[in-house]
Amino acid sequence: MATTCTINISSDIAPGFGGISESMTLTQAGTVTDIDSTTGFQRRKLSATAAVDLVTMASELIEPKDSVASKIYIRNIGDGKGNIDKSVGVTIGVKAEPIGKLFGGDWMMMPLTCIDTDDVTATPATDDTVVLEFVMFYEEA
Amino acid sequence: MATTTAAVTLTSDLLSDNMSVTASTTCMKAGTTADGLDQIEYAIVEIATGDQYDLVCSTPTASKGSKLYVKNHSIDETYYVEIMIDSQAIGRLYAGDWMFIPADFHDANADVEITALTGTNKIEYALLHEGTALTAS
Repeated sequence: MATTCTINISSDIAPGFGGISESMTLTQAGTVTDIDSTTGFQRRKLSATAAVDLVTMASELIEPKDSVASKIYIRNIGDGKGNIDKSVGVTIGVKAEPIGKLFGGDWMMMPLTCIDTDDVTATPATDDTVVLEFVMFYEEA
Repeated sequence: MATTTAAVTLTSDLLSDNMSVTASTTCMKAGTTADGLDQIEYAIVEIATGDQYDLVCSTPTASKGSKLYVKNHSIDETYYVEIMIDSQAIGRLYAGDWMFIPADFHDANADVEITALTGTNKIEYALLHEGTALTAS
């Protein structure tokens, strides 16, 4: 059972930059064994500027193991009706620490500690409707 | 306009039915639809165990549209680095792992920090941004 993720970055910012194309297989920490648990693919619709938990670590039905090789993928898909607004951003954070803002269409893939207090938060910049898609992969405690 | 695109393909067979997600985004300056990110910092560094380092040495303009890619090129699967932002642990990148995030740099303390916990890790990173506060010589 494998979970893989491939990134391709192309850019003409610098003439000598040949781009980035890399793939990774999500494995359990310190091993070549495939990662074994996921939240499944989810959607969250937001229509207010209040911060919300995308993932509340202490509430996961299957307890994630702390400080290993967990990852989360998040994408801002716009209003969920096919309209993607590059001017509408949602700040993604971990334990209230802002990581960065996902504008319409932007995606991110980052590691997580999965410590109970290190919830993944989302804070829209405006009250325009925005939908986030996300999936977390982790090891069962 | 400089054009930078970042595409991802994510597949998994952990669920009953295979999951496959693809997405692509054009990396724009914050809040715009007509002006792409136009500056880049790209490097490969070796991080030895011990101290915590600021991975991004310059200071990108805060709260813009910066994107940060980091990959751990180590081969030994037991090697890993810990990524922190403003002293908050984000997670670990084991050998072969990469991450791609919007990087906020919301204040002077919001550096992206890296610590190798096992072995000397070869780290590749690319910061796509729209301006830095250059240090006068």
